[in-house]
Amino acid sequence: MTKIHILHIYPNEMNTYGDRGNLLTLTRRTEWHGLEPVVHYYNVGDKLPKDVDVVLGGGGQDSAQADIQKDILRIGNWLHKLVAADVPMLMVCGTYQLFGNRFVTHDGKEIKGIGIFDADTIGGPKRLIGNTAVETTDFGTLYGFENHSGRTTLLHDQAPLGRVTRGNGNNGEDQTEGARTRNAIGTYLHGPLLPNNPQLADSLIMLALQYRKTAVDLKTIDDSLAATSRQNARNRSY
Amino acid sequence: MPGLVVETLVPGYLSVMLRKLPEGVVIITGTNGKTTTTKMVVELLRANGKRVLTNATGSNLTRGIISSVSQQATKTGHLPFDSAVFELDEAYARQFTDVIRPKYVLALNASRDQLDRFGEVDTVAKLIGDTMLSATEQIVVNADDKRLSAIADGGDVPVTYFGVAPDLLKFFPRDDEIVSVSDAPPAPNAAKMQVAIELLNFKDDEATYQIGTQRFKTKLLVTGQHNLQNAAGALALVRQLLPHVAPAKLLKQLAGVKPAFGRGQKFMLKNGSELQLNLVKNPASFRQGLASYVRPYTATMIVINDNLADSRDMSWLWDIDFTSLQGTDVAYTSGSRAVDMALRLQYDNVPVGSIEPDVEKALQAFCRLPGEKVVFASYTAMLRLHALLERKAGKVL
Repeated sequence: MTKIHILHIYPNEMNTYGDRGNLLTLTRRTEWHGLEPVVHYYNVGDKLPKDVDVVLGGGGQDSAQADIQKDILRIGNWLHKLVAADVPMLMVCGTYQLFGNRFVTHDGKEIKGIGIFDADTIGGPKRLIGNTAVETTDFGTLYGFENHSGRTTLLHDQAPLGRVTRGNGNNGEDQTEGARTRNAIGTYLHGPLLPNNPQLADSLIMLALQYRKTAVDLKTIDDSLAATSRQNARNRSY
Repeated sequence: MPGLVVETLVPGYLSVMLRKLPEGVVIITGTNGKTTTTKMVVELLRANGKRVLTNATGSNLTRGIISSVSQQATKTGHLPFDSAVFELDEAYARQFTDVIRPKYVLALNASRDQLDRFGEVDTVAKLIGDTMLSATEQIVVNADDKRLSAIADGGDVPVTYFGVAPDLLKFFPRDDEIVSVSDAPPAPNAAKMQVAIELLNFKDDEATYQIGTQRFKTKLLVTGQHNLQNAAGALALVRQLLPHVAPAKLLKQLAGVKPAFGRGQKFMLKNGSELQLNLVKNPASFRQGLASYVRPYTATMIVINDNLADSRDMSWLWDIDFTSLQGTDVAYTSGSRAVDMALRLQYDNVPVGSIEPDVEKALQAFCRLPGEKVVFASYTAMLRLHALLERKAGKVL
């Protein structure tokens, strides 16, 4: 059976916002597509796994972000190489911020990121919280729930993940949401993101298969519940 | 008189009134278990002849407390009570403790809660910590919650600990263990802490407590393993307040305390079957509820709303492991997020019988099923179900 190696980075530190659901969704859908998911966890100081086909990261507390900062700088080059090789990645909230250039906290402390996204984040005075909808070119409409105080600005020609049609997105000003570099995606959307956007989950699986240079026909999954939940999400207010 | 009116008309009212209480103010706080624990403490004190003022279930904001005080005061402004025991919402406790400092604070746990309302776990722990440190005589704290016990240790007043035996810790996961992928670290400072009351073991609703050198086995009406832990906290506090009452007597009184509003309450339905209603607020409480109440023969319904008091973000449902429901099915999901709940269960391979967002219709259909029933409901869903059940089902057991 074709294996898909899923790497979840910093599950012990960055786990505050239910993003564990992204891992569960990716794992189950991989199984349902007739593939074999192999989950690797990477925490501070761990050895990096040899096989990686897709990488996930979640949101965490401010204190956790400081805890992993040194370690993520240590594995930054390794992650850059995976991105250059077109490995798909989904980084949510706290890990999204650390995939940028830097994060300046509300009290002025600077946390250095690994610069996979050309983006700067500054801690804001007020959290941006609510039901969010984002239009993307490659993954259609994404529905999620944003909950962040960081304001992220994309620099130079850094591409966003999409544009918000409801909610604040990166900074509440320029309508951009998230960032995308090759197959690496950063976003503020919790909810969690993948179960409510199965088309994105399947895209990550297909990109992982492409990276492995394996051609597999994905099976059809009954996504009627997700379709109804998306229907409801469409009509929800912020 | 409504709290808001009093607050506006007579600033300082609360402080003046509560200062008159001869035995002072006791606060019970924490993410989960406040209401049930407050009920246990109040009933134990009352059973031993104390006149206790408390806040009505769930009205755990300062305004609710002002309402209870103004309703209970005599025309001459006298409060005919020995002491007051209040449960306080962690986000609003500061408002209260700024006005009047409690003599005793009992802190139960700090856990990830509604992130859109309370913020991160560290923030929650800090809020509860500030409340603990406002105590003037004594802090009673859960020895197994490392965030809270560390804060209590740093205060100026004596600390009393309650806890569970080390081999039971797996049943009472601390916040970080709920989602951690590593082995649980040992309880911190366990050797250093002298635990006044320890839950030694339990089976269903029967618990054994170690108090000093004595062991007591008792069967409780209050249900759920988490409440056996909370009862240890209630006992530790009451032992401080009533040092001369024999532990055996307290245990006997504790055994008679019934579940609080919507927290494991049982209703007798017209078809003769029992339905248990359980509030689930966050990953910790939902997990404890599943572990305590789901049996192979029970029919299950889950009702999730997304009002502010429920949590508007559904992320929390994904930090709960529902695989214990595999092999059974969930008869109904309901509430404004009925579909999201069913979607969550799909990813743990748990089939759902029907999705009925209308709470009243879902309850009606669910009640027609034979046998024992258990309902898990988010806060506003629980309030609605409680009202419907009181009207329809009749008898509260």
